[in-house]
Amino acid sequence: MITVRDEGRPILSIEGVWKSFGGLAAVAGVDFSVAAGSITALIGPNGAGKTTLFDLISGFAKPDRGAIRFNGTSIGRLPPHRVARLGLVRTFQLTRVFEAMTVLDNMMLAAPAQPGEKLITHVAGRAASKRSDRDVRAWALELLARFKLDGKADDYGASLSGGQRKLLEFARALMTRPKLLLLDEPMAGVNKVLGRQLLDFVEDMRRTEQVTFLFVEHDMDVVMARADRVVVMAEGAVISEGSPEHVRNDYRVVDAYLGQPRGAA
Amino acid sequence: MSVDFWIGVAVIAGIYGIAALGLQLNAGFTGLLNFGQAGFMAIGAYSMSLLVVEQGWPLPAAIPIAIAASVLAALLVGAPSLRLRSDYFAIATIAFAEIVRYVFQNAEFAGGNQGMIGYDQGWRNFAGWLSSTLAPWGIGNPQLPLLLAIWIFFLAALVALDALEHTPWGRILKGVREDEDAVAALGKNVLAYKLQSLAIGAALGAISGIFLALNVTYLYPGEFDPTVTFFAYSVLILGGFASYWGIIIGTLLFWTVMEGLRFIHLPLSTNQLGSLRLVLVGLILVILMRLRPQGLVGRKAEMQSRQ
Repeated sequence: MITVRDEGRPILSIEGVWKSFGGLAAVAGVDFSVAAGSITALIGPNGAGKTTLFDLISGFAKPDRGAIRFNGTSIGRLPPHRVARLGLVRTFQLTRVFEAMTVLDNMMLAAPAQPGEKLITHVAGRAASKRSDRDVRAWALELLARFKLDGKADDYGASLSGGQRKLLEFARALMTRPKLLLLDEPMAGVNKVLGRQLLDFVEDMRRTEQVTFLFVEHDMDVVMARADRVVVMAEGAVISEGSPEHVRNDYRVVDAYLGQPRGAA
Repeated sequence: MSVDFWIGVAVIAGIYGIAALGLQLNAGFTGLLNFGQAGFMAIGAYSMSLLVVEQGWPLPAAIPIAIAASVLAALLVGAPSLRLRSDYFAIATIAFAEIVRYVFQNAEFAGGNQGMIGYDQGWRNFAGWLSSTLAPWGIGNPQLPLLLAIWIFFLAALVALDALEHTPWGRILKGVREDEDAVAALGKNVLAYKLQSLAIGAALGAISGIFLALNVTYLYPGEFDPTVTFFAYSVLILGGFASYWGIIIGTLLFWTVMEGLRFIHLPLSTNQLGSLRLVLVGLILVILMRLRPQGLVGRKAEMQSRQ
C-alpha cells in the first residue's frame, strides 16, 4: 500500500480498525490519518464501508478492534455526544432534519454549551441565557444566509426538499463550531451553483477557522477539484491513498471504482 | 346540574389535567411514551399517606418527600429502559406501573386491598377552616378548597412548562422527540434529557396522585389501574398533541362527558352503564381523530410532519 504522509500533524488517526456485522467484515483493518486543516475525501463503491467507518469515528458504532484517535484522545469507546463535544461532528447520508421544528430551531439547537440548555443555569441566570440565545440566533441566521436557507428560517424542517435538507444538516453541523467535520455525501441533491459556493465556503472555513473536513462524495469532479487528499476504500479496506492525481492514476482505484481514468461521475 | 356536580367534574378534571401535563412533556415534547403515569401517581399518593399515617408526619412535610420518591422511581425505571427503543420503554413503563399497583395491593403496611385512611386529617382541618372563612361570601362549598388548590397548581405548572418549552432546554427535548441520534451527533446528552423529562413527568404524576388521594379520603390500589394512565392520555389527545393549553379543554370535556353520562337514564344495569360511558368516550375520540387529528388545540404542523 502506498502511503503518502503529508504535511501537518494528524487530527484524526484510524489504526487497524475492524468492525463486523454477523459474519461480514464491513470495515476490515482500516488505517489512515487526516491531517489537521486538510480537506480529505473518502471515496469508494457502494458497500465499501465508508458509512460504517463514519459511524465508528463518530461513536455510533464501537470498533471490534483497533484504535481511533482524535487530537491524541482515544475516542473509539466514547458515546456520540462526547465525541461531538470534542469537536468532531458528523452529518448523515440519509438526512436527519428535525421535521416538526423550524429551520431556525434546527440550527439553534446545535449551538454548543448554551446556558439555557440546563434547567438550573437557565433558571438561575435568565439574563445570561437570553443573551446567549441572541448570539446563537444571529450566528444561525448568518449561516442560513450562506446556505441560502434564510428565507426558510421560520418554516418547519418537513417542508424542505432533499437538497435543502442536506444543506440544513451541513449548516447545523457548523453551528457546533467543529474542529473536524465529517460530511456524508454533502452535495447529493444540491444544485451545482450553490454546491460550488459552499465548497468555496468550506475552503474559507479551513483557512480562517482551521476546520478540517473529511467527506464522502460520489461526484468525482468535486473530489478531484477540492480535496487535498483522497482515501479510497473498497470491501472494507483502504486500497489507495494520496493526492487526487495519484489516486486517479492508481490502477487499483480504476479497477475497483472509477472504471476508466477521469470517467466516473 | 348542580354546583356540586360541576365542582366534582372540575376537581377530577384538574387531577387528570396535572397527570396529563406530565404526559404531554414526556410524549408530546420529548417523544417518550410514558405509559406508567398511574404508577408514579400511586407512589406519590402512597408515600404521602404512609408518611402521615405510619410516621405521623405533617402533610406539608410528607408531600415533598412523596414527590421525591416518585422522581427516584422514575430515574430507576428510566436509567435502563430509556436506552432502549421507544416502544420498549413504553412496555417497561406499563409493567412498572402494574408492579407498583400489585406491590401496594399485597403490602400489609399499606393496607393491601383494604387501602389506607386517615392520611387527610391535616387537609380536612385546613379545608374546613378555609370553607368556613369563605362561607360569609356564599362560597363555602366544602369541596371548594380542594378545587382551588388543584387548579392553582394545575395552571401554575402549565404556565411553567409552557415557558420551559421555549428555552434551549425545551428545544433539545423536541429534538430528541424528532431524532435522538441527530441530537447526540450534535453533542447533547440524550439520556440526561430523557431522564429529566421523565422525572418532571413523574413529579407531576405524584402531585396528581396526592390530590386524587385527598379527593377520595380512602386510598386503595384500584385507584391506580392502567385505565388511569389511558384516561390521562385521552385527555391529552382530546386537547391536542404538543399543546399544554389544550389539556385544559381536553380534561374538562372528557370529564364532563364521563360524569355527565351518569345522569342519562337508560334501562341498563350499573355495569352496563359504566361500559357504555367508555364506548361513548371512545366514539368521541374516534370522531375527533377523523375531523381534527391534531386535537382541539394541537398544532397541525407538528402532527402532519410525522407521517
